[in-house]
Amino acid sequence: MATESIKYVAPDTENKVKTQVFPRPGQHTTGLVDWLTTIDHKKIGLMYGLTALFFLIIGGIEALLIRSQLWDHNMTVLTNREYNQMFTMHGTTMVFLVIMPLSAAFFNFIMPLQIGARDVAFPRMNTLSLWCFVAGGIILNLSWFFTGGSPAIGWFGYAPLTDTRFAEVIGDMGPDFWVFALQILGVASLLASFNFITTIINMRAPGMTMMRLPLFTWMTLIVSFLIILAFPAITIALVELMFDRTYGTNFFDFLEGGKPHLWQHLFWIFGHPEVYILILPAMGIVSEVIPVFSRKPLFGYGLIVFSGAIIGFMGFAVWSHHMFTTGMGVVATSAFSMLTMLIAIPTGVKIFNWIGTMWGGRIRFDTPMLFALGFITMFMIGGFTGIMHSSVPIDAQHQDSYFVVAHFHYVLIGGALFGLFCGFYFWLPKMTGRMMSEKLGKLVFTLMFIGFNLTFFPMHYLGMIGQPRRTHTYNEGHGFETWNQIATIGAFILGVGIVIGIYQFVNAFFNKKLKPAGKNPWDARTLEWTLSSPVKEYNFARTPIIKARDQAWENTYGPKDNQSEKEPLDDHGVHMPDRSWWPLITALGLFGMCLGMLFHRNIDPSGELVRNYTFAILGGVVMVTGIIMWALEGPGGYHLFPKEDEE
Amino acid sequence: MTSILSKLLSLPHLFIGALILLSGSCSRIDHKQSALDPKGLVSQNQYDVFMLSVWITIFLFCAVGGCLLYVLWRYRAKTAEEAKEIPPQSHGNSMIETGLIIASAIILVILAVPTLQGIVLLNRVPDANDTETLEKLGLDRSQIDGAITVNVTGKRFFWVFEYPQYGIVTANELIFPASKAVRINLRTEDVIHSFWVPKLAGKMDLMPGQENFMWFIADQSKIIGDEDAATAMPSVHDGEMRAQVFAKQKFTDEFEPVGGLFYGQCAEYCGNSHAYMSFRALAQTDEDFDQWVQRFQEAQNPNLQTKNYDPSQSYSKGSLVSFADPKLGSGANREYRSIRKTAPGQSPQLNPGAWEKAHSDDYEIGKQLFGSLQCVQCHAVNRTGLGAKGPNLTLYGLRTSLAAGWMRNDEESLRKWLKNSNDIKYGNLMWNGEGVDDRHPLRNLENDDVKVDQLIAYLLGQS
Repeated sequence: MATESIKYVAPDTENKVKTQVFPRPGQHTTGLVDWLTTIDHKKIGLMYGLTALFFLIIGGIEALLIRSQLWDHNMTVLTNREYNQMFTMHGTTMVFLVIMPLSAAFFNFIMPLQIGARDVAFPRMNTLSLWCFVAGGIILNLSWFFTGGSPAIGWFGYAPLTDTRFAEVIGDMGPDFWVFALQILGVASLLASFNFITTIINMRAPGMTMMRLPLFTWMTLIVSFLIILAFPAITIALVELMFDRTYGTNFFDFLEGGKPHLWQHLFWIFGHPEVYILILPAMGIVSEVIPVFSRKPLFGYGLIVFSGAIIGFMGFAVWSHHMFTTGMGVVATSAFSMLTMLIAIPTGVKIFNWIGTMWGGRIRFDTPMLFALGFITMFMIGGFTGIMHSSVPIDAQHQDSYFVVAHFHYVLIGGALFGLFCGFYFWLPKMTGRMMSEKLGKLVFTLMFIGFNLTFFPMHYLGMIGQPRRTHTYNEGHGFETWNQIATIGAFILGVGIVIGIYQFVNAFFNKKLKPAGKNPWDARTLEWTLSSPVKEYNFARTPIIKARDQAWENTYGPKDNQSEKEPLDDHGVHMPDRSWWPLITALGLFGMCLGMLFHRNIDPSGELVRNYTFAILGGVVMVTGIIMWALEGPGGYHLFPKEDEE
Repeated sequence: MTSILSKLLSLPHLFIGALILLSGSCSRIDHKQSALDPKGLVSQNQYDVFMLSVWITIFLFCAVGGCLLYVLWRYRAKTAEEAKEIPPQSHGNSMIETGLIIASAIILVILAVPTLQGIVLLNRVPDANDTETLEKLGLDRSQIDGAITVNVTGKRFFWVFEYPQYGIVTANELIFPASKAVRINLRTEDVIHSFWVPKLAGKMDLMPGQENFMWFIADQSKIIGDEDAATAMPSVHDGEMRAQVFAKQKFTDEFEPVGGLFYGQCAEYCGNSHAYMSFRALAQTDEDFDQWVQRFQEAQNPNLQTKNYDPSQSYSKGSLVSFADPKLGSGANREYRSIRKTAPGQSPQLNPGAWEKAHSDDYEIGKQLFGSLQCVQCHAVNRTGLGAKGPNLTLYGLRTSLAAGWMRNDEESLRKWLKNSNDIKYGNLMWNGEGVDDRHPLRNLENDDVKVDQLIAYLLGQS
């Protein structure tokens, strides 16, 4: 780096405690220690992304095992319990360990660059969020190795199947792992969301008004609000379930007056906003990509922003459409049916506006654009089947059949995953400074598009001719075989496509032979494209003064008035915060506490239940110590002095 | 090159292609559990709303997708120079946007109206006094007045069907009159299940601690089709249904052998063997249904239990008595039927000519085995009561299917099932339930052909 730097000397008053244990690593830390202690939002974003891609492979293998088992009637690739574990883990992994963290990866990496900030508001909290996510992923997958193996309860863990009374393996620990993993992942999501909200509201560059925010940042903001409002519901539900399982309370035990319905309400009042938590980031990405490759500003910017907000808001008013067949009565089903239909309007608005953006443009078909177009078409199909399900009489037949499986995969793969891959192809040049092969990118798109549709389109038909979901096999004589075989072939094609894609992403970081990207390879429009690729440690050498919505575009093509200016360089340079061990230690404490809770029960030789909380308390102590030391370790930091013309 | 590629790949082509493929290779869509072949009032309504939504969405997909295709073609950058041009930077048109929002809302109303009607229909049996509604639905008052009620209880992993009006209970095969409305009360004793017979009605969950309700009424004309009622709906009570089903088709055929046979399955994940939790519903003419009810009432009436032979009593022709038969083992009884009127004291032992064996030896031994091998601990048969861990096996020989609809109920399947049910349904509770381990007699039937045959004779002999 062509910057000279001096160690920033903090005033004595601020230097409250100079710890000898785990002191803040200094400016020139590299290697493993750097990655473990980093507070740089870009590195955190990358780790989020790479971990999520790793889990994508795990979840994908689970999916392929599921598809292999369904190749023909009465197959024995998996036993029924193994199959049930597979679909539980596949669902949980894909929702909590793949799509959400992939979105978080982009939020982390891109959002501060889009608003002209040097980092997020609470960098160490950001690190804690990352390590909580990793801990949650580990806890969930540790379940494979303990009594009962992984949970076999479905990703929405309906009570009372989760009750110990109905455990199919004696002492089954699977659901306990599931509960603690989800709790800790919830902590990760909440930390990140508070951070993003604070960042977007407080740390925008001068002139970056709310209505000048790039669409992706808007979606980050909306999704963060959804997370902080939705996760408390599942947190409560999980605590209650944990009490039911561990201490014999009766929240969901109907034989003791509990209410299994309660679980469904609590779960879906989280679970439906969760659907939008998964899809809105992808919509944000697509809303960035389409203007760039059409060379036009987004059509109806305000409307897209507000439709996103309305989708998020209404997402809290439709949860019971997951429960149309649970006997809620005429009035409740009618109300939720109508509200669900209404949500189609803001969703349609987005699609109309994307087409309006392309109208009259100069459309280039580079890989990101192909994924964006794939997103629009696939998401349209998923949306249309969604409208069908909003109608209760239709849903009465579709609910829990393969039609529903087809529907939500069209939304979550055709929608969310295509959108996220679109994001990778679009922003990786910014992250790595290298261009990826267009040819390979288009191959990935082709494989994914064909494989995806081969897999999931036949499932609509399978559902209509009566194949229920979550059945580990089917009998001869239903006519399910052919379409399942097509689906299985498609799944493997999709798998190959995704693996090549992941290879390409990882390769971009290491392969020095790839073409350098330069500042703005796509001739893109938003602020992050005014920076060098890869982005410097401090993001913005001089804070930009924003004059227009599509600042990068205006700087190149816009009138003089619209071109951004920069704040002058300070005498004391750019203040960079120091790295810290404490977020990692805090997360480790939380991880240990969860493990302690998971294993605190023992049966002693006389057959008595013994509870031993030593390990859990130890973990708690580590966590609290971590938080305290974190608060006391002082600001630290150093100053960088970028040159006048550096970006 | 790139633009052609993207166009080839864009969805409408694939969508239409898939439709052609579907319609071409699936000339029949009336698979056993197909919701596309409704045969009841409720399912027909659900199908109609579904088809309406299909046409609406196909229209929308073509309109929006066509628009998208046009835009992609019309405004594609043909050359590298064109890709660098700067088109007019227009960014919105509130007229167009408002118009599209209003248009979407109108389209939704088209779907919302039949949706609301459908919600009422599937939740409530029409009022018998509401002639207007009945007329609209094409129902006759007697179809509602004569409605039967079935209490369905879901258990892991089979179904109990109880008829409170008649005081009878059966399992895994729901018998109902085709001309009458059927009210279904749904209960569960363990986890959540979901009752789904796609051709008759959409599903409704069985929620623990709560009773849910659904109803259906079959459409007789669709069941019967071009055949007569006796062919389309063979009678169950005399074994005609079973014979017809077995005669007409192999178990593995894709379409139901007779119109009156419906296939259903649990549609809410309920544990290890969720996939195996299927069932059947058999439609009957009114007379056949009444006869079936009567047979069940007799079979399950504890007062009609075959009594021990009473030497002080005279018996009319055809009377059944229970009397010792040393051939079956010491202290074992068998059932005898009197051939003619017998005077007091003329026991089967004293006067063998007046009595005949009601059942074969195998049946009688099988019956004993059913007790001694502990089958009876879980399965109620005939008069032995309602509560049971396993399916009620009353008049088992009339059933068309075995193992909750998973296999054809014939000797061959039953033999396989008794010998090793875990092979067929891994994790089933008969093999793996509480208290069943390797010492349990059931697990030791594998190499005991004699006992298995005797059990089969007993079970299938109840018809």
